[in-house]
Amino acid sequence: MHWLSKKKYKIGLMIPTLLVYSVFIMLPIVIAVRYSFTKYSGIGQARFTGLKNYVRLFQDKIFWISLKNTMVMFVLAFVLLLTLSFLIALLLNKRLKAVDFSKALIFSPAIIAPIIVGIIWVYILDPNIGIINNILDAIGAEGLKAKWIGGDKLSPYSIAVIYFWQQLGYLVTIFIAGLKMIPGDVLEAVKIDGASAVQEVRYVIIPMMRTTISTVAVLIITGVFKIFEIVQQTTGGGPNHLSETLVTYSYSMTFSSSDYGYGMSLATVTFLLSLLITAVYTVLTKEREGESYGK
Amino acid sequence: MRNKKLKMFLSAVMVSAMTLGMLTGCSGDGGAKEAEKDDSGATVIKFGIHVANPAEQEAVTNNIVEAFNKANEGKYKVEFEAADTETHSKNMKLKAEDGSLPQIFWIEGSEASEYSEAGVLMDLTDFLTENADIKEALGGMEAAFKDDNGQFGLPYQCNVQGIFYNKEIFDNAKVEYPTDDTTYEEFVEMIKKLKDSGVTPLSIGSKNSAFAMWEFNEFLARYGWEGNIDNIISGKDKFNNKELLACFEKLEGLKDAAAFPENMATIEYFDAKQLFNEGKAAMFGTGQWDCAEFDKNIGDKIGFWWGPKFTDTQSSQEIVMKVPSAPIGVSAAVADDEKLKEGVYEFLKFYYGEDAAKLSYEGSIFPATSYEGIAASDSQYSMNTMIEALGNGWASPQAAPDLTVSSAVQESLYDAIFGVLQGTYKPAEALDKIDAALANSQ
Repeated sequence: MHWLSKKKYKIGLMIPTLLVYSVFIMLPIVIAVRYSFTKYSGIGQARFTGLKNYVRLFQDKIFWISLKNTMVMFVLAFVLLLTLSFLIALLLNKRLKAVDFSKALIFSPAIIAPIIVGIIWVYILDPNIGIINNILDAIGAEGLKAKWIGGDKLSPYSIAVIYFWQQLGYLVTIFIAGLKMIPGDVLEAVKIDGASAVQEVRYVIIPMMRTTISTVAVLIITGVFKIFEIVQQTTGGGPNHLSETLVTYSYSMTFSSSDYGYGMSLATVTFLLSLLITAVYTVLTKEREGESYGK
Repeated sequence: MRNKKLKMFLSAVMVSAMTLGMLTGCSGDGGAKEAEKDDSGATVIKFGIHVANPAEQEAVTNNIVEAFNKANEGKYKVEFEAADTETHSKNMKLKAEDGSLPQIFWIEGSEASEYSEAGVLMDLTDFLTENADIKEALGGMEAAFKDDNGQFGLPYQCNVQGIFYNKEIFDNAKVEYPTDDTTYEEFVEMIKKLKDSGVTPLSIGSKNSAFAMWEFNEFLARYGWEGNIDNIISGKDKFNNKELLACFEKLEGLKDAAAFPENMATIEYFDAKQLFNEGKAAMFGTGQWDCAEFDKNIGDKIGFWWGPKFTDTQSSQEIVMKVPSAPIGVSAAVADDEKLKEGVYEFLKFYYGEDAAKLSYEGSIFPATSYEGIAASDSQYSMNTMIEALGNGWASPQAAPDLTVSSAVQESLYDAIFGVLQGTYKPAEALDKIDAALANSQ
């Protein structure tokens, strides 16, 4: 296998992957960016319009609503998912009763198709037929009833909760895999040295799981910017685009309004935003890693 | 050494094969193709349709196609390219781009003129000239799909749209049935009484169903839409004008009267229809495509009404909504293949012929054509109540208002209507949004 380690052969073998990546990932991005500078209905010729779509985008109230909704979901999902999935992983990594059953239970939403997740939650959150409002009715707490979805305020929060419910098990599994990678003798040594459980987590587990935490964080960031089916199924982006995310609004403009140029400018901004947040997170964690090593 | 060379060779072959495979996977069909034949030697005609399961969801069209295939066994065979409306719409655009459109395809009404302008549709003027009987049977319905490029489409069906109501619910609530002379003010009173009786007065859902606003086409038409839309599109007037503002204020009045389901934002058209079918809603706005379902669920208790008359406008109130539905178009590539063109013309002759009209009526669908002596049976209650309503002889616009504007404006119109119905927008604000959409689309 020595011949495989030569640079030119490595490059040769990478070509198919590179081609697939270029054709199916990079090229569509380039094409989308190109269309974002045009007026195009999907039929006939695209007409170059310069920055018009971007000017329109910054004046478009629905864009800002979509951005706000996406950021609400991002903050909620990031904080809740990162902390709770880590804590649950710590718990499930212990030798407790029914731990395997709990793992399966927590992971189960992750294997349900997002579109089905949406349907399930409609029956929970719908203001009329949803379980929550019906329970509140039954126990005489009508005052607490709300438009969890379909109203003008709570939809993004509800969607963040649904996304949290769906992703939790998957991220817990990644954290458990990370925890299993920590050498047992290190943890044993920590215990012998008399560290408390909190100190063990703070000074040993978290630093040793930095790569796993970064991976999970990037998965959450990119995942939030891809929330689509849940929104489509629970609210369809409505009422009147009030629960749109950047992705659903981009889809709506592109395919419902046949405004491909504007839809692609929304997609481009979404792409840049997720890239920016991921980059900021990566830089920040790299700096902290540097600081830790410096110490 | 030989082993090493062999490995290198194998690697190179694998890389080339994967690359080629990928590139061929990406390539389109390219230019014009020979007409496809089936095992019996019949020329295959592809029909792109906007439902995933034509046998279930477009039973009439499916029956017509089956009847045509049977009559032309070994000669022509029509095969569906089926996908749900949104996917179909996307697919057709992609196929228009790479020149692989099916020979015949259903076109989203607001996109038809864009296809025509792009030059991907065949001019069907010759077909109508050669088949004068069909032109006569269409009775002018085809005019909505004609522009400078010629006859770019023909109506898929005839859409009769309005408000169906459940007579039993009206009787229980002691509310009189609406008539051609019922005014908007009387309609609002009717809604209040129905609401008090514990039912949803007018069922409607907005989630992913903004298109389901057929009953409000009548509102728009009775506030002079047809006479003014060209002025608005050309910039001489605005959507936010006195007439349409009054129209949208009436929509707001319906919202204030609590006409709609409380959860209209989280239910779809199909859920809203379910409420009507189950007797939980008194009225439901739709068209003849739901007749068979209403016959099954509501039977002879069904009634049909065009909608209220308005007293604060000079526009004609004697308008009904019997309009061509979205068109079917023929790919321009068909013109290059005489054999295929012949087959497509044969199918169109059949589709717009008397036998197909009979099949349409049997399936409770109004065909785009009118032939003497073809009518619904006594047990087709919903269709008969529509036919009775059509008996007033009132005029119809050339096209439903929502089909007279481009996709972007149409989408904004839907958004504006549902915005007012749900209280998200005030009437003037909603109309301004349509004006903004029009400005952006030009």
